[in-house]
Amino acid sequence: MYSDRQLKLGTGVRNNFSHIIQPIYIIAESPLRLYKNTSLYIDTKKSIIKENNSLKKKVLVQSGIIQQIPPLKAENKRLKKLLSSSSSIDTSKILIAELIKVNLSPFSNKVIINKGSSNNLFLGQSVVDSFGVLGVISEINKNFSVATLITDPGHAILAVNARTNKRIVLSGTGDNRKLKAEYISLNEDIKEGDILITSGLDNIFPGGYNIGEISVIKKKLNQDFLSVEVSPSSALSSNREVMLLW
Amino acid sequence: MVIMNKIHITCIFALLFAIILNILPLPSIIDSCRPPILLLFLIYCTLAYPDDINLTYAFISGLILDILLIMPLGYNALCFTVTVYLIMIYYPQIRLQSNWNKMFSIFLILIPFFLSSTLMNSILKIDYNIVDVIISIILSVIIWPGLFNMLRFIRQKYT
Repeated sequence: MYSDRQLKLGTGVRNNFSHIIQPIYIIAESPLRLYKNTSLYIDTKKSIIKENNSLKKKVLVQSGIIQQIPPLKAENKRLKKLLSSSSSIDTSKILIAELIKVNLSPFSNKVIINKGSSNNLFLGQSVVDSFGVLGVISEINKNFSVATLITDPGHAILAVNARTNKRIVLSGTGDNRKLKAEYISLNEDIKEGDILITSGLDNIFPGGYNIGEISVIKKKLNQDFLSVEVSPSSALSSNREVMLLW
Repeated sequence: MVIMNKIHITCIFALLFAIILNILPLPSIIDSCRPPILLLFLIYCTLAYPDDINLTYAFISGLILDILLIMPLGYNALCFTVTVYLIMIYYPQIRLQSNWNKMFSIFLILIPFFLSSTLMNSILKIDYNIVDVIISIILSVIIWPGLFNMLRFIRQKYT
């Protein structure tokens, strides 16, 4: 185990035997895939029409919101020019990948993605879903790669409080439902419900993506810092498709 | 020689099937407390063929599981080897026991397995929940008689 940690033997083995490992993952995933495909066929016409209507409404609302973005973008650019700031949340390329739903160790906080080095992925690439940041690519094989979730105990991310613009370090707890914010002084301006976004300063995640919301703030006696919990906004345990950012 | 080959082939296929069962996606409620199916298969194989199925099988199965589960290499290999070693010591007594006694023996043998995995979890700083570990042991003991009968049926049919 020690040599594996130092020499990354497991990564090497997975890389060399990815042609054998991937079919095993596919076989293990096939019952779930079969269940989902059959339930799609079994769905009644009524429920599909209902879903279609709700999706149409959602698109209408979202296209209304999108219409406001170009003037906001222009205004933002103008203000940033005034402040001489160069940060930007534009990303040049997005690739949609699917999760391979096999049961990894429940405590490992890792997911497998069906895109690998053949799709020009790189180590440390950020993975997001439609709700927020999911994690980073930590291992790349030929046809699949491993992403470490932001809730992994060994993972930390530099966030910004959207209300106050103050920087906060968030680290994983091992629990999919919470992150912990560290080193927040007792007199810091922070409230439950504050939205945290990526800062873009860590050179891993592009700035401006949603991370989560502050859910619990506790002030403990004899402690120099606040104990703050953050609930991640991305659907860490239930999503199927993710986006990879360049 | 032919019979011995048959034994090895049947065991290898059974273990491959167990590996797939081990990584099969399950609902998140029972995900964290799933029983170690591969280890239960290995225990049965060792009880059935103690001269053929040895520590090498346990070690290699553990390594394959480590690679598939993206865990530190040797984590499951060590836990499985310890358990199969215990089975190899006590198999004459366990084989003669009744079903209820066998369940109790499995319970006793799984405790060192979970202790060693818990110890390694704390060394490797892997987050775990002790309640899930206890539920996993209990589930393993509950499914043991069914699994035992199923595997015995397969063994009698194919070897």
